[in-house]
Amino acid sequence: MGSDKIIERWVPQFRKGLLEFIILLKLQQGAIYGYELAIEIKKLTSIEVAEGTLYPLLNRLKRDGLVTTEWQTAEVGTPRKYYKITTLGLETLTKMKTVWTNTHSSILNMVMQS
Amino acid sequence: MNETFPIKTGVAQKVWQNFDRELIYKLRPLPKAEQQDIRLEILSHLYDSALNDNADSEEIRLINAIARLGDPDDYLQPLVAEILLMQKAIKGHPLAITKSLFINAQKGLINALLTLLLGIGYFWIVMIFLMAVMHFGDADIGLWFYDSGDFALSFEAQPGAVQWQPKWFSVIGLAVSISGYYLLNTLLSKLLLKSKT
Repeated sequence: MGSDKIIERWVPQFRKGLLEFIILLKLQQGAIYGYELAIEIKKLTSIEVAEGTLYPLLNRLKRDGLVTTEWQTAEVGTPRKYYKITTLGLETLTKMKTVWTNTHSSILNMVMQS
Repeated sequence: MNETFPIKTGVAQKVWQNFDRELIYKLRPLPKAEQQDIRLEILSHLYDSALNDNADSEEIRLINAIARLGDPDDYLQPLVAEILLMQKAIKGHPLAITKSLFINAQKGLINALLTLLLGIGYFWIVMIFLMAVMHFGDADIGLWFYDSGDFALSFEAQPGAVQWQPKWFSVIGLAVSISGYYLLNTLLSKLLLKSKT
């Protein structure tokens, strides 16, 4: 197997592992609904995941108490389920950011030394 | 649903209805409220996605939107499985309880300790239940007290000990085990809701 093939397989796995972190980062900026979140993630990260796979993740975040949901029905347009980050979600996100920063620095050091 | 999500052309309506039927079919193991919630959210996503697609015809926009969502099995199965597992555990389904205990034990030291305590609790509940049932056939099975203040749950008569409530042991044992089972299930469901993955 060539390196391009291996990278092709590795990149989606690497990005998918970061999705929960990315979702919480996005939710920190304000409440958002599923479709909008999928579009934003694609736009900001170029992560090509099937949009539907966000929903099991969002459900898990909700079950863990990191987000809450609320249906909003506008006068015009479709009803939308908005996700909002909770205090526990913000607390978890802060810890995630620390882990990310430390990991990022360590890996960057290794990359620079290599 | 058509008033909520106005689809104009006949072909697009067919595409929409087929997708909706598939959603209904795949979500049927869930309670009605959960089914409705997930179905409406996916349909809302689909409608928004189709609305923002650049294709000329409505049906192609819908088909593209369905493709972007991915294989329904990939996103519906994990959702259904997770919700069902939690609900079965709450309702006291023994297999779901075992699986939930196992999953929960893997979520860190505190969760593992709490799960161990719950597991011990379930063990004693089952023991008391079995002894209460077996007491109907063997009167020596029960709770025995010694003069020293010690006691033993035993399957046979204990020399030098007095049996506690021999006439009522079965009834009390059944009542304690059943109420204990529901109490532990409630604690487990709360633990599942609070625990982090």
